[in-house]
Amino acid sequence: MRDTSRLAAADLLALASLGLRMRRLRAALSALGISIGVAAIVGVLGITQSSQSDLLAQIDRLGTNLLTVQNGRQFNGGEAKLPTAARLMIGHIPAVEHVSATALLTGAVYRSDLVPSYETGGIGVRATDVALLDTLNGRVLHGTFLNAAMANYPATVLGFGAARYLGIDRLDEPTRIWIGRRWFTVVGILEPLPLAPEIDQAALIGWPIAQSALAFDGFPTRIYVWAATDQVGAVDAILGATANPENPEQVAVSRPSDALAARLAVQSSSTTLIIGLGAIALLVGGVGIANVMFVSVLERRSEIGLRRALGATRPQIAAQFLAESLLLSTIGGIIGVAAGTIATAGYATLQGWTILIPPTGWAALIAAIAIGAVAGLYPALRAARLAPTDALRST
Amino acid sequence: MSKAVIELRDVVRRYPGDPAVESLREVTLRVEPGELLAVMGPSGSGKTTLLHIAGTLDRPSSGSVRIDGVDTSSMNDGQLSGFRATRLGFVFQQFYLIEGMTVLDNVAAGLLYRGVDGRERRRQAAVALERVGLGHRLVHRPAQLSGGERQRTAIARAVVGRPKVVLADEPTGNLDSASGIAIVELLRDLHRDGTTVIVITHSPVVAGAMDRRVELMDGRVERDTGGPSHA
Repeated sequence: MRDTSRLAAADLLALASLGLRMRRLRAALSALGISIGVAAIVGVLGITQSSQSDLLAQIDRLGTNLLTVQNGRQFNGGEAKLPTAARLMIGHIPAVEHVSATALLTGAVYRSDLVPSYETGGIGVRATDVALLDTLNGRVLHGTFLNAAMANYPATVLGFGAARYLGIDRLDEPTRIWIGRRWFTVVGILEPLPLAPEIDQAALIGWPIAQSALAFDGFPTRIYVWAATDQVGAVDAILGATANPENPEQVAVSRPSDALAARLAVQSSSTTLIIGLGAIALLVGGVGIANVMFVSVLERRSEIGLRRALGATRPQIAAQFLAESLLLSTIGGIIGVAAGTIATAGYATLQGWTILIPPTGWAALIAAIAIGAVAGLYPALRAARLAPTDALRST
Repeated sequence: MSKAVIELRDVVRRYPGDPAVESLREVTLRVEPGELLAVMGPSGSGKTTLLHIAGTLDRPSSGSVRIDGVDTSSMNDGQLSGFRATRLGFVFQQFYLIEGMTVLDNVAAGLLYRGVDGRERRRQAAVALERVGLGHRLVHRPAQLSGGERQRTAIARAVVGRPKVVLADEPTGNLDSASGIAIVELLRDLHRDGTTVIVITHSPVVAGAMDRRVELMDGRVERDTGGPSHA
């Protein structure tokens, strides 16, 4: 048959855009529904992925080797005493690389002796041995950490949070703070310690000076243990009995990095919820497109009739309306991906994270296009089924 | 005798229902190449049905339709569409121009379903518009045209593909008499260039300008003046 209708692909695209160009506002509004759904999915996935990668990087950087040992917990928020031999005993475990004992003291810390006594700012005083920095894998921001000599004198090292509260951000000039009715010279400020927030908020002093000047009884209350990477579980299992052989059940061993890992899990579950909402928005957007396509087919009956008279086949009419619906959902999806990406990039930049757009986000675009196809299919078939004579029977 | 451009034989078009309506009752009509034919009759006499069937937009309930010597009764919808794309041109009372496109693109749409590429479509459309006297209106929108100009655009679209037959359904029905006369003149020009033109009208003025007049009444041919080549 030489008389066949042919329609080039490029012409089909022009036809698809014709309907949208003729009713821009309506097209924009119906694409908006898809955009919102895709933007929500891409944005939520991107933001959680970026923050999770930040958390993972943090866990990676901090290591999961750190364990803390406490002798139970007291109701008043203080720390119970551990046996004095605990530190030594733990140090004998072969897989323990570093161990350090600290004790929470009763005294409070003030910027000067003129500050009212109730303004403690939640900063604790801790006696510590000089191995603490190595055990926590921490670093000094300014000055130095305590050494064996300084531990005998009224010298203190501030955690990052404590220094910030006290308004001390440099050590160019000799700086003193008021601890337990005595002046202590600040010799160092630590970098933040995400795995040991209690050290972050503490003023650290040497074990001997604590005993001589602050009436410290010498019992540790919290011991930090840095275990060999592949032995953390094994060390964890025997720490209780080693630290307090008489009452091992009283000893609480925890792994601070678990708290970060738990945050990962919480994020994942809330992400699922928001993705679900995004998917619903996408579906509603699809219903909107189907609605718009039905109206379009109804309004353009005479155009359909005309095109049939000009030689368009039923499949070509269906293709025109299906392509229009696909174009609508694709444009909506692309705008959604762009908006979600911009939101992710903005938020991640604000938080100082690396920007990560997960590949699952692109699946939202594909889903949007698929929804456009499904939404457009029935209206397109209705348009194609329309008899030319009915389509041309005007108004 | 040359082969007929359109040949309807005992065509019946029945619309099912209660009672069933017979729009055409055993119509036999033969149109030779190059004829200029008016189909007349009051509303409801079956004029538009006749045009739709002669233009393959509708199928007869019984009887045969041969166009350009080809029997269309065995063709499927796709084949009929191809037939319309290449051999037939339509002009409607309501013009049916697409508002979102320029006059040039509206006319070029007449070649869209023949697989002609866009540049060539526009080139031929410009020629067709020149021919109907709208060479200066190419980039205008249909809304910017007068009624007469719109119908001339529609005629350009119908003839841009050089069809064998142009079928016009009340082409002057929506126009004032001056514009109507200009359209009739244009159809006569097409006829002089060799195109077969069939015009449906209830205007005696339009019908009077045609070579042959067929009058329909209640779905039957009441009178046929016969064409120049008709016995």
